[in-house]
Amino acid sequence: MSILYDDEQQAIASESRRVLDARMDKTRLLGLLERTGAFDKPFWDTAVEQGWTALAVPEAQGGLGLGLIELGLVAQAAGAATAGAPFLTTNYGAICALLASGNADLQGQWLPKLASGEAVAAIAFAEGNAPLPPEPRSVFAGGHLSGEKPGVTAGLIADLAVVWCHHEDKPALVLVELADARRETVDSFDNGRLFADLAFARTPATLLVEGDAAQAAALDILARMAVVTAHEQIGGAEALLFIARDYANERKAFGQPIGAFQSVKHRIAELYGLVEIARANAIHAAAQEGQPGFLKAAAAARLSATEAYDTAARDTVQIHGGAGVTWDSGLHLHMRRARSLAIEQGNMLFWEDLLVDQLMGEAA
Amino acid sequence: MSEDLDSYRLKARAWLQSVAPTFGKAALKGVPEEEHLAMGRRYQRAKFEAGFAGIHWDPELGGQGLTPLHKVIFEQEEMGFGMPIGYFGVSLGISVPVVLRFAQDREWARERAVAALRGDEIWCQLFSEPSGGSDLAGLRTKVEPDGNGWKLNGQKLWTTFAQHSHYGVIIARNDPTVAKHKGLTFFWLDMKAPGVTVRPIKLAAAGSPHVNEVFFDDVKLTDGQRLSPVGGGFGTAMATLMIERYSASDPTGFGPTTATFVDLAREAEVNGRPAIEDGRVRSAIARSYAMRSGLEAITTRAMKMMAAGMEPGPEGALNKLVSVRSRQKLSELAIDLMGNLGLAWHPGASSKDDWVESWLAAPTGRIAGGADEMLLNTIAERILGLPQDHRPDKGVPFNQIPA
Repeated sequence: MSILYDDEQQAIASESRRVLDARMDKTRLLGLLERTGAFDKPFWDTAVEQGWTALAVPEAQGGLGLGLIELGLVAQAAGAATAGAPFLTTNYGAICALLASGNADLQGQWLPKLASGEAVAAIAFAEGNAPLPPEPRSVFAGGHLSGEKPGVTAGLIADLAVVWCHHEDKPALVLVELADARRETVDSFDNGRLFADLAFARTPATLLVEGDAAQAAALDILARMAVVTAHEQIGGAEALLFIARDYANERKAFGQPIGAFQSVKHRIAELYGLVEIARANAIHAAAQEGQPGFLKAAAAARLSATEAYDTAARDTVQIHGGAGVTWDSGLHLHMRRARSLAIEQGNMLFWEDLLVDQLMGEAA
Repeated sequence: MSEDLDSYRLKARAWLQSVAPTFGKAALKGVPEEEHLAMGRRYQRAKFEAGFAGIHWDPELGGQGLTPLHKVIFEQEEMGFGMPIGYFGVSLGISVPVVLRFAQDREWARERAVAALRGDEIWCQLFSEPSGGSDLAGLRTKVEPDGNGWKLNGQKLWTTFAQHSHYGVIIARNDPTVAKHKGLTFFWLDMKAPGVTVRPIKLAAAGSPHVNEVFFDDVKLTDGQRLSPVGGGFGTAMATLMIERYSASDPTGFGPTTATFVDLAREAEVNGRPAIEDGRVRSAIARSYAMRSGLEAITTRAMKMMAAGMEPGPEGALNKLVSVRSRQKLSELAIDLMGNLGLAWHPGASSKDDWVESWLAAPTGRIAGGADEMLLNTIAERILGLPQDHRPDKGVPFNQIPA
């Protein structure tokens, strides 16, 4: 079932857009690209101050008890602003993992800190192009984790990580405090995402869930994060659509606005189509949270959002011509973000396969 | 969705199931054209008698007085059964509503509405011409004052079901000395009147002809048949096109379902391996599904907005543009998967189940009702506010525009 946003949700959407419009600064974001290990502190302070970190934490643990829909709306605003801090997604993944574990002690210890923004979490599932490798290279045994996870989003400054690993030949999710882990900075094309290679050598860890339940929980967490990311991608794609539209109305060539040429005009109209289809899928997926069709809806949202953002980045730069490829134009902020987000919750190949498997299950 | 709408859906489904053996896909298989039309008219009559015709029309006009949402729900349920509804789409969707809105003789219009709802009379819409396809205002069919009435000469093209129609609505040029949009007038017309000749056009795709050329040779019209102010026909024509704003959409682009493609890919092999395991095939399935689920979500959201008394957003305009192009490509891939077995062609097959028929008929879907290029222009200009195309005929009297 698709939904219409209620008044409260619409207020979250417009307020987050307003706040980010006022506080985001392109020069600051461009600066982040040129050094490693830094992140957009003003964005994170804003997120904490606005209560965005508390959105998906249960009320009993100091949160607002809201869910994917509200988080999606904030992510959309963050995506439009290319807000350079990844924690909205990764903290949410950790919140979901803690809730799935049913471990009240751990929940009491970490959820209030995640809600208040005091703690930052990372999700360390992927290895290379496998978002959930069937044979993870990290092993949990006797309360300790050993192994490696490459390119972990937010890994550079996170306080804790949820790690997809092996435990006695079964898949497992464990919680590990990163103060005890080795981290190596990944110098990336999108530095604000704080990518790090993590290495664990008998690092103390706590088992959250294992076996088939771990497999199901990890996939559910990944899908939920993918829906948040889809909203972020749509926010970025829509911002680019408007940038392209405005530029095409202003910039003149051969005596008329370039938007009067169908080669340009139709390119922009096609972007509108991609954005609206992605938006419809993302809203639908957020509304399917916890329902049987959720994985399928999340996959559709992920695929269409990735296509929309990559295409919008590609075409908007093209429409700007030479101006589009300059450092100062800032369009490359979106181009970079479109690619990093396309990878962060699993690439297109993964989601296409997952979706077809779901559809085949249905057709069988 | 409200309880009322849910129970309406169940009621509609139950009725459709009860008449499906008489009028559905299986009953229509291999039926000759004349009998197909007769079954279509009997189905329309049955719908009228069961209270499912003119669902959102005023009861005074033979309708049910329900909301557009009820109509969309009924059509969504109806879509899967393959009922013979094609003959009435233009008639009840466009022509009759415009007559009801603009006809001078109200009682006469009411009688026509009831006759059309019962399937007794069919209407066509005479807009397109050989020289004016996407450019509706470029039409050349001429209407001149003639005594107390008018005289019509010229030719229309692509007129859906003109060969079965009793009446039509038509737009013609009454004054070539003013700018092209200003010299047009709108009428209704008796399709059996002297001087009207209908000639069906055989299309590249299979099936019986459903579009026609229509010729007018000194056809007489009374002034009572006029539906717009003299010279004010373009506005009325635009209102006509807007009348049927919300209709059931089909995210498949009126082609086969995703499940049909998955079934084919399970059976077919590519280089000795199951096609369903081929990455190219899987990618096509996934992308197509994601596009279709997006369109479905747009429609569901629009219905909820209507139910809540709100105006749906403009994104509904995407449906035809996106879905038919995608159906065309998916049909090509399906024929690839069938290889030389796909070269066989089964005339009369439905484009909802048959990939070859779907592929053959797809180009029509990208042209009829606004070509892709016009839809992109509409999105760019009306929704995004981009500049209009350069139109050198703007403001120029029609008879001074180089032909």
